[in-house]
Amino acid sequence: MTDAATLESFRLADSFLPVGTYTVSYGLEQFIQDDRVEDAADLKSLLSTYLRQQVGPAELVALRAAHAAANGGDLDTVCRADRRLSAVTLAAEFRESAQQSGDRLLSLQTELREEALLDRYAERVDADEAPGNYAVVLGVATGLADVAVREACLLCCHGFVTGLLGAAQRLLSLGHTDAQRILDELRPAMTAAVEKSADNGIGEMTPFAPLVDVLAAEHERAERRLFAS
Amino acid sequence: MAADAPHPAFEGYATEAVPQAAVGSPGKDGVLELTFERTAEGTTLVHDYATVPFHISGTLGYDPLPEADTVFVQSPTGGVAQGDRHDVSITVGDDAIAHVSTQSSTKVQTMTCNYAAADTTLSVGAGGHLDYVPEPTILHADSRYLQELSVDLAPGATAVVSDVVVPGRLARGERFEFERYLSRVRGTGPDGLLFEDATHLTPGDEDPTAPGVLGEFTVYGTTFVLAPDRDGTELSDALHSVVADGEARAGATALPNDAGVAVRALGDRAETVQSTLHAAWDHARQKLLDAPAPSGRKY
Repeated sequence: MTDAATLESFRLADSFLPVGTYTVSYGLEQFIQDDRVEDAADLKSLLSTYLRQQVGPAELVALRAAHAAANGGDLDTVCRADRRLSAVTLAAEFRESAQQSGDRLLSLQTELREEALLDRYAERVDADEAPGNYAVVLGVATGLADVAVREACLLCCHGFVTGLLGAAQRLLSLGHTDAQRILDELRPAMTAAVEKSADNGIGEMTPFAPLVDVLAAEHERAERRLFAS
Repeated sequence: MAADAPHPAFEGYATEAVPQAAVGSPGKDGVLELTFERTAEGTTLVHDYATVPFHISGTLGYDPLPEADTVFVQSPTGGVAQGDRHDVSITVGDDAIAHVSTQSSTKVQTMTCNYAAADTTLSVGAGGHLDYVPEPTILHADSRYLQELSVDLAPGATAVVSDVVVPGRLARGERFEFERYLSRVRGTGPDGLLFEDATHLTPGDEDPTAPGVLGEFTVYGTTFVLAPDRDGTELSDALHSVVADGEARAGATALPNDAGVAVRALGDRAETVQSTLHAAWDHARQKLLDAPAPSGRKY
């Protein structure tokens, strides 16, 4: 990768990126509320479920399709992957969170980059012809910046895990060292999710985490909550 | 003596080898077709065709709603065997109301080779309603089962589609001993794909009891209340409050593309998951048809 592509990937992976990561917990808040996650070990095993059952089989498949389509200037395929990702994301809160952070990233990228494809994609999202999911916007952004697809997928996993670790630090008494240790120990799970996602096309997004869905449904109606999801 | 000679010692058991009926042979490729139409009397089953292992004994005047019609699909066999390929098509015409269920659980038998598959296509015409609420699927040890269900809704159509999976003969202590279970449910409307849901379990490769997957639960079911022209958020909240305090751990969420609501339930026994999902079905039916759901009793 060129220095520009590497630096772009650092920028997109950084929790400094203003996409509202601090507002989402993807159900983690409810798992903690329900005493299902009480310590670093519980958190690590739940995060590996997310990587294996949700991020890998859904987000990464969509990201790959968007990445390839962006390289080929194929906006229709980007939108198809985007709509498909929403259609397989059954938890309403997760769709909202993915669209909100996707929207922020898309407006940021259209400000920073002179790319016709980004502008046309943003028009489709504004016209409600595509939902603008975060993973798909990330796929387009990394594709256009020549960040290799494997790095883009790893970046997505890293961003997802650091986001949830940040949420966990505010919800649990989780020290910085523990958070870094979990991030470090989840490396094989991230690699496995990335590798497995390579086999699937747009038609084969199959996230499966029913207990996450049930707890997300409870979170939707929780009276007191810090996070939007 | 001929190989099928009746006596002495059965002649080396008539030289053995009775190969199993091949994929696609009679008895292995069951077809079920049901078409309901709206008529002056209410709803009528105007077309039915069933080959083994499906059997239909006519319709039942069972629904609390007088204009609705009911079919319980029967099976004279012990369940689904390796090499079975089933094909089910149910069509509900404009303004017709139909309820289709099975008489008992679908038992997917132990397998030593090949797999079994069922392809179900549901279609509901404008203003029509279908309740497709079969009894649970029980996955015996070493079974491999692929289930694909698609439901297409015309404008103004509604449907309730339910799917419950029991991962083994729980009473004998068998659980998660099957090899592979993949069930896909896909909903479409006039503008194409509304939602898609997949259940993919391979207990030998990935622990189904992992946190966030099934956790401490064994039985898992989902009821899809499909009503694209209704307020999904309001229905979702109402259904959630119906199931939240049930015996099973359950929750409701609004489906993508305003397709309706998904109610997921997890429990330790099929009965608790079914009764929780039945409560959701009952509430949804009151909202959609102004009538309660039929009782779950089949005998």
